[in-house]
Amino acid sequence: MKTAEKTGVVLAEKKVDQKKMRAKVKRVLLFLSIIAIILLILIPIYLLFKISVSASQDILTQHPPFLIKNFTWKHWLKILSAGQIWNPLWKSVIVASMVALLGIIIAAPGAYVISRLPKKIKYGVLLAIFSTRMFPEVGIALPISVTFIKWGLLDTNLGLVLAHLIRVLPLMAWVLTGTFDTIPRDLEQSAVVDGCNKIQALVKVVLPLSLAGLAAGAILSWLESWNEFTYAIYLCLADTTLPIKTYYYISRGNWFESAAYAVFLTFPVMIITFVLQNYLKSDYLSGALKY
Amino acid sequence: MGKVLLLTMIKGIKKPKGRMFLMKKAYRLLLGLVILSLLVSCTTMAAPKSLKVIMGLAEEEWNVMREHIFPAFEKEYNVKIEAYQTEAQDTEKILEARAKANRMDIDLISQDNMRLATLVERGLVEDLSEYRSLIPATVIPALVDVGEFGGKLYFLPYRPNIEIAFYNSLKFAQYGLKPPTNWDELFNVARTFKEKEGVARVAIKADLSPCTTVHLFDFCRSAGGDPVVLDDKGCFEAFVFLQKLWPYLSPDSKTANWNFMNRHIATESVYLGQNWPFGMNVIVKDGGKKEVLAYQGWRGPVKESHVLGGDVIGIPKGAPNKALAIEFAKYLMSKEVQEKLATYNGWPAVRSDAYGTVEEWQRPYFDAINEALKYAEARPNLLYWDAVDKALGEAFREGVIEQKPVKPALEKWAKFIRDNKR
Repeated sequence: MKTAEKTGVVLAEKKVDQKKMRAKVKRVLLFLSIIAIILLILIPIYLLFKISVSASQDILTQHPPFLIKNFTWKHWLKILSAGQIWNPLWKSVIVASMVALLGIIIAAPGAYVISRLPKKIKYGVLLAIFSTRMFPEVGIALPISVTFIKWGLLDTNLGLVLAHLIRVLPLMAWVLTGTFDTIPRDLEQSAVVDGCNKIQALVKVVLPLSLAGLAAGAILSWLESWNEFTYAIYLCLADTTLPIKTYYYISRGNWFESAAYAVFLTFPVMIITFVLQNYLKSDYLSGALKY
Repeated sequence: MGKVLLLTMIKGIKKPKGRMFLMKKAYRLLLGLVILSLLVSCTTMAAPKSLKVIMGLAEEEWNVMREHIFPAFEKEYNVKIEAYQTEAQDTEKILEARAKANRMDIDLISQDNMRLATLVERGLVEDLSEYRSLIPATVIPALVDVGEFGGKLYFLPYRPNIEIAFYNSLKFAQYGLKPPTNWDELFNVARTFKEKEGVARVAIKADLSPCTTVHLFDFCRSAGGDPVVLDDKGCFEAFVFLQKLWPYLSPDSKTANWNFMNRHIATESVYLGQNWPFGMNVIVKDGGKKEVLAYQGWRGPVKESHVLGGDVIGIPKGAPNKALAIEFAKYLMSKEVQEKLATYNGWPAVRSDAYGTVEEWQRPYFDAINEALKYAEARPNLLYWDAVDKALGEAFREGVIEQKPVKPALEKWAKFIRDNKR
């Protein structure tokens, strides 16, 4: 009997050990896959950076080394001292920031109303909004740009911002509708019971709780605008954006300066992402409802 | 309106003598101001303050334009040249949007002569036939032909361009090889590199883009064929040769275009390949690969032929300052400007009487360009160019890359061209 009990305990311990082992293996595998994904993302950026700071003999060879051998700032100094980068950078930052801001201001109230609609209508409305993105951009960019040129919006920040909002608003509406869906109506009702009117409940309760969604929407729309190309080609000539400037460098075949431009293009993206990621927390709603 | 106001004021005058005098003076002053402003506005209309120009240039080339080319014209015509960068494929979009909005603000374009048909077909450029006499007599005739569509002249010559063959002189010396000058030698060089290194080191632009079409024009024409006909004897001979050559061509050929060919040569994955002369700046000047030299390329069984590329000048329809743009075009074709462009940019001159002094390192490449220009042939200006481009690429894919029988492939795609003829 005792032997049987002992065997049972040993078996149980073995099972626990096996489970622990499996959990460990799982964790290691997860860790390894995370590292693999990070490397997959970072290696191309590293290679770009490496080309931008390497001497030509390190790159233009049959077997280029993986690490930087002959470090040089020459290519960076050349593009920075040429003075061609600052105006496009400024334009891109202004336009992308305006698009993110206006996108939130326009899309948030709409998304809030959509999220409070009955389910069937809500999805219909969302689908209708998204249908505007079904048209290929190259097909609609020309007629839209023609209209904007007629309105005198050529080479203006406003023209580009409006054009980018066409792309961004459906995306923002979709992201923000999802965000507002997660905020229980009971919270608003509790705020109303506590003496808030509808607007106050929206501003003081719903909006702070939707910060994560707003930040995600802002990042997405900022990046959409930052990388946008087609409208920028049509609407900017004298005052162009940074991606267009980078494209011109790449088109002309200078690899080192193109690489420096491409790396430079990523800096504002990193800064914006780091700033806004503080708001991307999943625990905003934890403990919000106390019954 | 001014008159009515003045009359009303005059009617209300109680003491006519003194006030009348003042009113008369004010009236004269007002009249003077009106005439002056009319004169100023007329003068403004006659002499524009700026000339808007779009071109596709590298940063160094822009510097040459801003320092050595524009100032003299700006001074002579008291005008500011507003010049902006665009790539050839974007020029069409930029002009089309402005034309449709009826807000053309661009006075002059310089455009790659391989991308002219769309501009003409969509009515985006002015007919310049009446300015034909402005073209200097010493301009290379083929460069005038590329600007003509249906007997009308739409573009003025400005900059010739031609592909040259870049080769890695150290690798050639290592295996005791000489740059090939005909098809047989080309085949031998390609085979030798593959046998010696186990990897093929000769490349052609086979990415099936318009770059491939340029090479196919060279091959077909140098065998006596007409690539627009495609199923003739010369094209057949060219495709059969390419089919034989294909196994000895570098795998990089499939990605080689005007941009990647430079990279393949500079990184030594390719030892011989044809490309546009700007490659010398990328490979030799920026990349420091001084061992990469150039020559004019190889001839075929019938003749030597190289597609004539380059940029031409066009005036957009509805350009606000057409007269001044014509003057600028004339200036760009002048001997003085062409010599400066040759000297500072290393561009071959559009006219035979302009000689520039290129930098020492550029000289061998410049010589290769001039040698190749002797065998330059312009591509035909066809409104159905897209069909020709597609047919050549597809025939190449079937007959050369996939090694299918050449004849049926050529016949199939020659029919495609005939069916799409306009």
